[in-house]
Amino acid sequence: MFEQFIGLLVALGQQTGLTSISIGNIIMIIVGGLLVYLALSKKYEPFLLLGIGFSCIVSNVPGSDLTAPGGLFYYAFRGVEMVIIPPLIFLGVGAMTDFGPMISRPSLMILGAAAHAGIFIAIVLAKMTGEFSIAEAGAIGIIGGADGPMAIFVTMKLAPHLLPQIAVAAYSYMALMPLIQPPVMKLLTTKEERSIVMKQVRPVSRLEKIVFPFAIAIIVNLLLPPVAPLITMLMLGNMLREVLLVERLANTAANDLMNIITIILTVAVGSTMAADRFLTYKTMLIIGLGLIAFLGGTASGVIGAKIMNLFLKEKINPLIGSAGIASVPIAARVAHVVALKENPYNFLIMHAMGPNLAGVFGTAISGGIMLALLIQ
Amino acid sequence: MTIVPMTVPDTLEGAVILSIVDFFLSIVIIYGISLILHLFPLLNKLGTISDERLKGGH
Repeated sequence: MFEQFIGLLVALGQQTGLTSISIGNIIMIIVGGLLVYLALSKKYEPFLLLGIGFSCIVSNVPGSDLTAPGGLFYYAFRGVEMVIIPPLIFLGVGAMTDFGPMISRPSLMILGAAAHAGIFIAIVLAKMTGEFSIAEAGAIGIIGGADGPMAIFVTMKLAPHLLPQIAVAAYSYMALMPLIQPPVMKLLTTKEERSIVMKQVRPVSRLEKIVFPFAIAIIVNLLLPPVAPLITMLMLGNMLREVLLVERLANTAANDLMNIITIILTVAVGSTMAADRFLTYKTMLIIGLGLIAFLGGTASGVIGAKIMNLFLKEKINPLIGSAGIASVPIAARVAHVVALKENPYNFLIMHAMGPNLAGVFGTAISGGIMLALLIQ
Repeated sequence: MTIVPMTVPDTLEGAVILSIVDFFLSIVIIYGISLILHLFPLLNKLGTISDERLKGGH
């Protein structure tokens, strides 16, 4: 009787994950907990970090098979892997975004390209390690574009086997931008530069806002067909927003659909952080290179703005250069907050939104060129 | 002279070439888009669209 009881307990024990939990799982559960802590206590992008952190924790509890084929998170990740989720995110971003700040001051668009030097620094460094092919290096570099859907899209075309690591690096660093960017911004600017108050931008008419998505969709798709699915959806969402006629569709894309896709995406990204796949030398290299790409992009954006100031009569606040890295609107918000600390009456957010929005196109263009050159 | 399309070599030199070409072309394309946006105020000469009329359009 007693032996049968013990036998049943052993059988039950074998069904649990207790027998197979590893040190790696425990480390990753702590990492997931840290992401949740940063979202809760520091308010660093809770929309991204809570889902990523939670699914990272539960995916590292062995036995549940949530990420195995047929498991709950497996299908969430399939949506990312099959590149269904990224274009839908772009539809929502387009429907949420007012491109007015970019249309009103197009001269600042160049900062959207300047802030992408980090991509290229990471590509060269990745190749220098001798661990990655040129296609893998390109996929790693695109982390520096600070654009999650674009990073997923480019990685699926260039190095699909690196998708978990690259998606985690891109989304985690995007969420941690309030922590990563300010030291670089302060290091490269003086107090006087950070205090520069910029002139109000001109108002943009409804006609300009309606023509914009059509013009951009035609130009970018014509020049860079590889990124057409993303830019098309971004501009479709924006067109729905700006025509004002289909408020219901625009609201659905910007709110309900975006929320659903965000839940699926963050859960999918966090679920890839399983210890056996994640705690490897190559992953650590990718995470390190991703950070360098973010730091490099922030630095090159600020330096780009300072170079522009050499030729401008009316100086711009160089902090807005860092927003050119993309990651709308996180990077613009970081520039705004850093400027507010120097001058509590300096509202930089709308000025930073111009380069920030241009950064989305900068990443798309960089990714498109990379795909065109590497996939032949 | 015929120019044959080249693939990027899988070397460090290839990575440097890819980076330079990509960075340069990104700047050129973004600058091109900004030039087009500079022309956008001219659209307002065609007329105006009232937000109220659009909203009440259906």
